[in-house]
Amino acid sequence: MIRHLAGKVGGALVSLLFVVALGFLLFRVIPGDPVVAMTRGRPVTGDQLAELRARLGVDKPLTEQFADYLAAAVRGDFGTSYVYSRPVLELIGERLWPTVLLTGTSTVLAVVIGLWLGIRGAWRRGSRSDRISTGLALAQWAMPTFWLGMLLSLATGDLFPSGGMRYPDTPSDFVSQAVDVAHHMVLPCLTMIAVVYAQYLLVMRSSLLEEMHADYLTTARAKGLRDDLVRRRHAVPNALLPTVTLVFLHLGLVVSGAITVETVFSWPGLGLLTYEALTGPDLPLLQGTFVVLAGAVIAMNVVADLLYRVLDPRVRAS
Amino acid sequence: MSSLLELRDLSVHYRTARGEVTAVRSVSLGLAAGQTLGLAGESGCGKSTVAMSVLRLLPRTARVEGQVLLDGEDVRGMSWGRLRAVRWAAASVVFQGAMHALNPVHRVGEQIAEPMRLHGVTGSVSALLDQVELPARAARAYPHELSGGQKQRVMIAMALACEPRLVVADEPTTALDVVVQAQVLDVLKRLVSERGIGLVMISHDLSVLASTCDRLAVMRHGQVVEEGPAREVITSPTHPHTQALAAAFPTVGDPASRQVTPSEGAGGPVLLRASDLHVSFGATKAVAGVDLEVRAGEIVALVGQSGSGKTTLARTLLGLRKPTSGRVLFEGRELPRSASGLRAYRRQVQLVLQDPTSALNPRHSVYEAVAEGLRIHRVDGDESARVAEALSQAELRPPELFFPSLPHELSGGQRQRVVIAGALALGPRLLVADEPVASLDASVRGEILALLLRLRRELGLAALVITHDLGLAWTIADRVAVMYRGELVEQGTVEQVLLSPRHDYTRTLLAAVPHAQRSTRPNWTSSP
Repeated sequence: MIRHLAGKVGGALVSLLFVVALGFLLFRVIPGDPVVAMTRGRPVTGDQLAELRARLGVDKPLTEQFADYLAAAVRGDFGTSYVYSRPVLELIGERLWPTVLLTGTSTVLAVVIGLWLGIRGAWRRGSRSDRISTGLALAQWAMPTFWLGMLLSLATGDLFPSGGMRYPDTPSDFVSQAVDVAHHMVLPCLTMIAVVYAQYLLVMRSSLLEEMHADYLTTARAKGLRDDLVRRRHAVPNALLPTVTLVFLHLGLVVSGAITVETVFSWPGLGLLTYEALTGPDLPLLQGTFVVLAGAVIAMNVVADLLYRVLDPRVRAS
Repeated sequence: MSSLLELRDLSVHYRTARGEVTAVRSVSLGLAAGQTLGLAGESGCGKSTVAMSVLRLLPRTARVEGQVLLDGEDVRGMSWGRLRAVRWAAASVVFQGAMHALNPVHRVGEQIAEPMRLHGVTGSVSALLDQVELPARAARAYPHELSGGQKQRVMIAMALACEPRLVVADEPTTALDVVVQAQVLDVLKRLVSERGIGLVMISHDLSVLASTCDRLAVMRHGQVVEEGPAREVITSPTHPHTQALAAAFPTVGDPASRQVTPSEGAGGPVLLRASDLHVSFGATKAVAGVDLEVRAGEIVALVGQSGSGKTTLARTLLGLRKPTSGRVLFEGRELPRSASGLRAYRRQVQLVLQDPTSALNPRHSVYEAVAEGLRIHRVDGDESARVAEALSQAELRPPELFFPSLPHELSGGQRQRVVIAGALALGPRLLVADEPVASLDASVRGEILALLLRLRRELGLAALVITHDLGLAWTIADRVAVMYRGELVEQGTVEQVLLSPRHDYTRTLLAAVPHAQRSTRPNWTSSP
């Protein structure tokens, strides 16, 4: 068990190292000159430009830049943002929790809704409610996130704020702050759930359908169990196995998936920060957010792997 | 005599896309407490449908007619609540394939205790496990941690949990090897006599039923074609189908079921020889010093329990696995090590697997399945002519008719013929067949064995047949090699080994074979 854990974590660290390296290379390939972007609309001389380049370190050859970046990254230093002139890690730290709050809340809700509808659909396969819920989920999944988000905020009118995370004039006590944040979160949350829950529904539905004809369910029925007990005690625990893997793999992606939603609703999270960094391009900030977002995927992979061992006794043994 | 279970004019129809299919047609059977009723028949004859109808476990698509009386009460008329109360408490089922009938994510102890809690029965799981001769700690195991025989015992323990008066056992020993099968059957017999429960036992194997049951009913196409006291049905079957079933499971020592004359297949040059072969997986020795030879035109049966190392030996002989030490010689030359050399070797020695359904790619037509080997080995000449020849050698005639067929359109026997044709297309000298008929129905089994014999006669094809079934060895083999814990404990002609076995293990194997007592017993005595 310990060995297995060490192997998984070791593998994850290697992947993370690749991500760090890739983060540098990827953003050198995209078009755009950060120095030009920073000085746009201001009269600057060639000397000033050269000095700025030297200060940012972008005048050095790429290999040297890469070595500097790698050495700093291993120490946990992702440099200073060009635009904000503040350490990248500090910026990310500030923006992390709004993203975790938003994606966490919507994922938990989407998983609950998706699994519940998936189980219901599979158990009553082909019924009218199954067809409606599956069709609806697919339609929402197919919708572009930004479009759905804008549509939702148009449709609800002034009911919910359509941008930001809190009003500046809210009293600073905990309860009113929490209510305010929740109020702001309604629309982005709804948008994310609507787009995402279909995947959970479909995976849960199909893996439960696969279990539906399993012999051990006949055994359970023959024992005299009620239908809902057969489902809850015997069918669902088996059908959950593939679903759990998917949920956790997806959880990593959700963080980066928040880029669109956060941009549409100006939610001050990592997604919006990435979007802002891209317009520069603010290279150190981009590298930092890229590593954090990719790191989330890797971390969730490890969690999914370990959780699967806990849930499935057959995997535990081998 | 009051009946524990009585089926009156039971018919079951399934609604399918192609209209209604009748699975069971006016079956009437009765069973008293303390009695054992055997239900025999091939797959698709409706025997499992009968079993499922006892507890009303049939799928929604089934339409049932007639009466199923459990202790005089019609199961069909029960309310859901009453039915749930009756299930498992009054009658329980030992399902076919314990592998799948147990829930993989729950410990077996929980699964045994579940119906007790549900029906409010007090009892102890360890006492139940003890009755089926399992240690109490087995309760903590998950199904995958147990062997096939142990899982089957767990199923039996589970069936007894609520002390039902009726137990329906659907193929309780299929997929178990002979020794374990004998143990499981003993447990069932003992429980019937000790507790006075009624047992309905379903099997495709008449000899299994004959050794356990008082009465026997033979089903075909949904109907009972013969019914009577077990001894009578076995010894003097009147219906041709019963006779065919009985013949398919030959009694070792019965000259009538031996299809080989001693002069056949003897004296050819040595084709394949293994000398002092060892294969280890880490610390476990799967094959420990085996010397074996197969002569040209000879059929050798390699028998043994599961886990005895037979399959590993076969894979090593085919060059699919490198031996740890020792040598494999084909026509006096050592097996080549290079990929191309091994490919040329495998053209001479072809493998036929146990389950034709999984051995064939479901999306490949029969033509592609047979031609694939020709393409891999880049055999020159007219491909379709060779495919047609191989198919007709495997008795799929006319071959052109089968070219476009997909595996799911064929019967089990036809599929196995396609697998054999795929091997024959390359013109091999030796077939290695791993349980070639284990997954086939009784009537088809005889045909496939006859095919192997005919191929030997007409093409001089030698065969190494791996099996746990001594009856099969008796039917077609010239020589038998008995494998036990990686070693060949006994080798010789079929008559020597099976009629006067010298090694204790061979005697154990022979004693475990269920006996129909249709003919005189062979002249050996089982050692205590």
